[in-house]
Amino acid sequence: MNPISALSLVLVLVAVATVLGLLWRSRQGRAAVVAPGTPDAPGRPDALTPADVGSRGPFGANATLVQFSTRQCARCPGTRVLLAGLARSRPGVAHLDVDLTHRRDLANRFGILQTPTTLILDGTGRVRARIGGVPSRDVVLQQLDDLSGSTHDQLAR
Amino acid sequence: MTNSPADSRPQPAARRRRPERPDLDPRGPRFGAAITAVLLLVVVFLALTGASVAALVLLSVLAALFAWGAFAGAGRHPYGALFKAYVRPRLGPPDALENAAPPTFAQGIGLLVTVTGVVLGLAGLESAVGVSAAVAFVAAFLNAVFDYCLGCQLYLLLVRAGILGRGQTAVAGG
Repeated sequence: MNPISALSLVLVLVAVATVLGLLWRSRQGRAAVVAPGTPDAPGRPDALTPADVGSRGPFGANATLVQFSTRQCARCPGTRVLLAGLARSRPGVAHLDVDLTHRRDLANRFGILQTPTTLILDGTGRVRARIGGVPSRDVVLQQLDDLSGSTHDQLAR
Repeated sequence: MTNSPADSRPQPAARRRRPERPDLDPRGPRFGAAITAVLLLVVVFLALTGASVAALVLLSVLAALFAWGAFAGAGRHPYGALFKAYVRPRLGPPDALENAAPPTFAQGIGLLVTVTGVVLGLAGLESAVGVSAAVAFVAAFLNAVFDYCLGCQLYLLLVRAGILGRGQTAVAGG
């Protein structure tokens, strides 16, 4: 192959990798809202208990941030610090960090494809949102605000 | 509040098996990945232009560098020394330090991909050299430019496939 064609192919490779990276980044840290009452995965019960995520710690009275990590996860410790801090700053919000390294069953049950993945549960243990990748502080706070808003709506009714 | 019953117990055993590696400035491995990505691109170019011997030699060198990172740890990689000597003094302090295990695992993945290319190349399958360099390039490029961690992703998928991380299900269940 002559050098010009080879160089073109090399540039195509760089372009493909760039598109892949942009696609990946655009999906990072976004919250996918799970509407209440819709079973979003087969076999998943409506309300989870701490045992369902392999945890002994209690869920929060208002919301729980369930973070899924592994030991080979560069961004999990930072996410853990962020979410633990947010949980401390809000009353009734708990943070659980679940290590999937030896819990293949949980990874499969919740369909975890990347770490960290964070589920946001409401006060009853229902999954209300799911964030793949490193969550941004604002996205999590927005979700927690939405949750407490809907709780108030229910109380007002 | 933070509870992590799932990871609190297996850790002491892991520490005994493998001494804890010091935490890294996360920009170090990304700097190394950028150099690796450029060199892998050179391998692809050489393979495409028919300079198959040069491509094979350069890919072997890169495989050896991946082996260094995978076995000595990402913190002892020669690119890491370059980073500490010439790049880090020009940057501000990092936001946070990172565990060295994920980038070390990623070096192992790079080693696997490039060694496959070298072995198949030596066996006479010349196209394997360029293909494996291209695959490794995508991973190194995504790591360097987008801070994507292929090692982390593959680790989780290997756990899900039951290849890694088995055997302590009952313990972690609690």
